[in-house]
Amino acid sequence: MASKKAAQKNLSLAPVLDLNEATVLHKQLMGLKGNPLVIDASAVERAGALCAQVLMAGARSWEEDKQPFTFGKVSDPFMKTMQLIGVNIDHLLAQEARQ
Amino acid sequence: MDMNEIKEIFFQECEEQLAELESGLLKLNDGDRDPETVNAVFRAVHSIKGGAGAFGLDDLVSFAHVFETTLDCVRSNKLEPTQDVLKVMLKSADVLADLTNAARDGGSVDEARSRTLIRELEALAHGEVPTAAEAPAPKPAPKAAAPAPVIEKPPVNDEGFQPIPFSFGDFDEEPAAHYVPTVQVDFKPKKDLYAKGNEAVLLLRDVSRLGEMSVYCDMDSLPPLDKMDPEEAYFSWKISVTTDRGEDGVRSVFEFAEWDCDLDIRTIEEDVVGEVTDDEELPMQPVPFDLSMLDESGSAAGGEDEPAVVESDAAAAVAAAETATKVSQAAGRAAENAKAAASAASAAQASQTAAGQTIRVDLDRVDRLINLVGELVINQAMLSQSVVENDTNGTSSINMGLEELQQLTREIQDSVMAIRAQPVKPVFQRMARTVREIADITGKSVRLITEGENTEVDKTVIDKLAEPLTHMIRNAVDHGLEMPEKREALGKNPEGTVRLTAKHRSGRIVIELADDGAGINREKVRQKAIDNDLIAADANLSDEEIDNLIFHAGFSTADKVSDLSGRGVGMDVVKRSIQALGGRISISSKPGQGSVFTMSLPLTLAVLDGMVVTVAGQTLVVPLTAIVETLQPEAPAIHSFGASQRLISIRNSFCPLVDVGRILNFRATQANPIEGVALLVESEGGGQRALMVDAIQGQRQVVIKSLEANYTHVPGIAAATILGDGRVALILDVDAVVAASRGQSLKQDISLAATG
Repeated sequence: MASKKAAQKNLSLAPVLDLNEATVLHKQLMGLKGNPLVIDASAVERAGALCAQVLMAGARSWEEDKQPFTFGKVSDPFMKTMQLIGVNIDHLLAQEARQ
Repeated sequence: MDMNEIKEIFFQECEEQLAELESGLLKLNDGDRDPETVNAVFRAVHSIKGGAGAFGLDDLVSFAHVFETTLDCVRSNKLEPTQDVLKVMLKSADVLADLTNAARDGGSVDEARSRTLIRELEALAHGEVPTAAEAPAPKPAPKAAAPAPVIEKPPVNDEGFQPIPFSFGDFDEEPAAHYVPTVQVDFKPKKDLYAKGNEAVLLLRDVSRLGEMSVYCDMDSLPPLDKMDPEEAYFSWKISVTTDRGEDGVRSVFEFAEWDCDLDIRTIEEDVVGEVTDDEELPMQPVPFDLSMLDESGSAAGGEDEPAVVESDAAAAVAAAETATKVSQAAGRAAENAKAAASAASAAQASQTAAGQTIRVDLDRVDRLINLVGELVINQAMLSQSVVENDTNGTSSINMGLEELQQLTREIQDSVMAIRAQPVKPVFQRMARTVREIADITGKSVRLITEGENTEVDKTVIDKLAEPLTHMIRNAVDHGLEMPEKREALGKNPEGTVRLTAKHRSGRIVIELADDGAGINREKVRQKAIDNDLIAADANLSDEEIDNLIFHAGFSTADKVSDLSGRGVGMDVVKRSIQALGGRISISSKPGQGSVFTMSLPLTLAVLDGMVVTVAGQTLVVPLTAIVETLQPEAPAIHSFGASQRLISIRNSFCPLVDVGRILNFRATQANPIEGVALLVESEGGGQRALMVDAIQGQRQVVIKSLEANYTHVPGIAAATILGDGRVALILDVDAVVAASRGQSLKQDISLAATG
């Protein structure tokens, strides 16, 4: 799947994904575009809808680029927030992260 | 408070909402795209709908509903508010007003018209709105009578609704045991919601705490990563929650966010949900979880992820169908909606502009208060006068106390008057409707421009202004403006303009109505006047005099009598009503360029600041607002002009000297200017005149007592008053006196000239 030159990148999410973090996260994702990406959401304590939007937009962009976009590790609060707001990330979860 | 009183309040509120609605629509029409304007319009319709529902006014509810739906499309940017769209909306606002009036006063409305508009509104909402984006079941509600099955496709299907039910461990095993309403929420946050530090996640969490919740997140509007604004709101949610706290409970969660999001909260009947079970195969993802994780405490209570599947999957689908038939049941709740909306609206306003609170007071009470204050003023004046007369040294404590009393009465009076002062806006708005209707009937295209809507004037004046103004607007559109083709041929904009302006000038309110039509056809007016024996065939009249002929009774220049105007009861009635208000009306017309009607009205009909003067032994009151300055004329400054005219030179300019005593026939000969005092006044035409009086007694606030009501109209005298010593003094009509000084006698003034 991954193109040859693209190396897998990792992105660790901040503990608090609020309004301010949305812009930061957006920039980070923009900078990683075109590369396979594994997101580490294990540190997330609080997630907001804006960051969820950025992540979902990212997931779609990666899908268009045919690059893998996965959540390597997720914290419980992150998962539960996503469920609460009806955002399904099951298909984005890395095997080891699935429970 | 009985039902009727509550209903009366509702109708009063309706009037305010309708005014709000109309002004909002007009703003949109002028290109205003402020979301707050759209919101205000939406709120207005919504509130009317809510209240109407509470009183079971079905016609009103159903119409308001369709209207609201279309407005919602505008609000959510699905429908561009173009001129055409707004035309329909403005008409709808008119129909809404009609329906409101019909509901209050009985009577009927033009049903064909409302039906057509309903269709047009629906077409607007439909035509440009993708089904999926539309809120479930707003459409069928207007046909409240129609059975539920009219909805062939529950919108839920189209949307791929994915309810995610979850619960708090021990949820009720037998929900049917008691009625637990299911509330459907459409929640679309706006950017502001996040910008204000609010968080959709927290709102959803609070909703989920109310009861059993399913949620679907609509990500359709999410743009690609590189095109997105990370702080913009793209997600929207459809939530259905079963909670014993009902709609109110859900609403309270959104209380602080209500105006930062598009929110639609409805209740779905639970028992019906039970009947329709698995008809629809909805892709469902039961995601149970434990909310403790999301608590602020952040305690990591491990959730046992037991799937708790609830059989409410079809709830949403049924909801849509049900809403249609449940309009009447929902009406009561709609009222609450409206209340909540209104309170939220006012809360929002309060936070922005710190708007003051208002109370409604019966006008009679205010009038009674004003009357009493008037008497108080007279009494106080009498008291001070008698104290002054009986007190020789003038510095007694009584005197000082009296001065304070005087100031207090003064303040009381001002405050009471301020209660009655109202902006002319509502009247002007009514005119907008008149213009639209007449334009429709005559097939002309007219644009009404209003200026100075916030000019304040006494409520009585406002109330009595509407009728003459309507007459004049009708005339302006019907007779004044040409047909579009003709206008185009003349090189004018095919769309005619009628300009309605209000402003304060020299203590009066001046209302101007200008059109850019053909102007007065003087030849025709003159001929008509001769035909009607109003003037002699060989009479030599100035243009102004000819123009003023149209104020004569039984005068109409329209070739044919139309439904609108031309029955010859127009302008003379207008003039009489304006005069009855203590006002004047004048006209100036330029052939081919249009006519301007100018009305000047007193700000209040109750009190007046006046200068008390003596003329030939009589006490007169000159309205202070008319006086620019007073001066003692000196012999070298007086110049004779013509046979009997005199001028006074003031700071190197000449100003005609008007001998008040002579004009009012108080004396037979001209007074010597050097022995008197000159009052420089500004007259309606804008020019200055020096009124000559014998002496100034002082300034006083006087309570106006109508001369017409108690005696009869006296030329040159506006009204009368009672002075402190109990004597009656006449209040001078400055403009009439000035006009009379131009050579016209006061008698002629009432018979012919319009400036009387």
